[in-house]
Amino acid sequence: MFEPDRTYARRDTALFLLCVGLSLGALFSPESWQTAIANGVRRSALAPLLALQELAEESRTSRFRIDALVAERDSAAAAAQALPLIKAENEQLRLILGLARRLPTPSVPAEVLHQALPTDGRTMLLSTGRRAGVAPFQPVVAPEGLLGLIRTAGARTSIAMSWAHPEFRASALTEDGSVFGIVAATEASSESEPMLELRGVPYRDTVEAGTRVITSGMGGVYPRGIPIGTVVGIARESEGWERTYLVLPAAHPGRASHVLVLQHPAAWPADSVPHEDSLP
Amino acid sequence: MPRTSRLRFALVIALLVALHFYVRPRLWSPRIAPDFLMLGLMIFAIRSTPGAAAVAGLVTGFITDALTPARFGAAMLAHTVVGYGAAWGRAVFFADNLVVNAGFIGVGVWLRDLLVLVASGAGGRELLVQLGIWSPLLALTTALAGVIVLGFFRDWLEIRLEE
Repeated sequence: MFEPDRTYARRDTALFLLCVGLSLGALFSPESWQTAIANGVRRSALAPLLALQELAEESRTSRFRIDALVAERDSAAAAAQALPLIKAENEQLRLILGLARRLPTPSVPAEVLHQALPTDGRTMLLSTGRRAGVAPFQPVVAPEGLLGLIRTAGARTSIAMSWAHPEFRASALTEDGSVFGIVAATEASSESEPMLELRGVPYRDTVEAGTRVITSGMGGVYPRGIPIGTVVGIARESEGWERTYLVLPAAHPGRASHVLVLQHPAAWPADSVPHEDSLP
Repeated sequence: MPRTSRLRFALVIALLVALHFYVRPRLWSPRIAPDFLMLGLMIFAIRSTPGAAAVAGLVTGFITDALTPARFGAAMLAHTVVGYGAAWGRAVFFADNLVVNAGFIGVGVWLRDLLVLVASGAGGRELLVQLGIWSPLLALTTALAGVIVLGFFRDWLEIRLEE
């Protein structure tokens, strides 16, 4: 057995206790401090390393996902063929109803810079920040659906809170518009992958398995119509009061590599903000 | 420690940092690709005093927390404890075998994940799935990367290994 020198052992123990104390101090410090420190480190010391990772992510995407990207582009091109007709119909109906033109939703593309920690899926480090117009509370979407929203935005990088985060909430409704509820990460799921819950559904309303759930547009954070997931069954119910449904998410933060950050109407020029009826 | 030895060790750590940010994103799924930062911490812990390893753990955790701030401070605490524990474990057990060192690294990664998840408030199914499936896979790939690095830089790192 190794018998360490007593002086060294004391010094080691003192250093260890100091480090644990600093860690606990960081763990329980105010969130504003944590955000400021993390942003400062990412902006300064870690900036070259993050640039390196961004380069690697872009390279990987171009090398390994080219087939998938081509397939997605082809599908999008096919879907877009009917778009002019739908746009024209929409314009006509808006004219008849006296509504202003539908606003476009500007977006900022970003790479997800995945990290090794097991909590990586709860927050996502994105390769875009304030310089590209990214701001807190802007929605983050993948091609499959909603991923979360921007929590903090640095100059070149930003942190997004994904739907897997315990604090995530989004107002949602079923695709047919009949049932409203609040979507949040499940506290306990029987599935191996993280799942969502549709909470607060009135007991009189029934949602069939397979029903798609989308954002409702209420609350002013997420525009209406972003796919959230598909109902797979009842998670629990309060007799005579409400039901909670289990939802299989459309997009998974752990697998996302490319995302879009949707910008808010507040980010647009003031003279282009129309009547609220014409918001998406 | 001689100056040349320090320089060589610093070069290996710099290489691991570069691998973490430039090569890791290209390898498989991000959930199971080797954690080169953690590997650097374990190699540092193997050849230094527990106090120095705790400080190195704090720094590694700080970097990790800045990149994954789901629960800021959780990674600092986990890396500090694992770094300190690894340095003590090495001093007590004299692990001079390459396979034992790899196991040491793997256990360190798994323990780090356990501490991060507990400090982040994860529980139930998420904790079980993470610790039962993803963390062992991450520990395995990191340990394999450790075998390669230790084998390749054996002389530079001045780590005693049985032939």
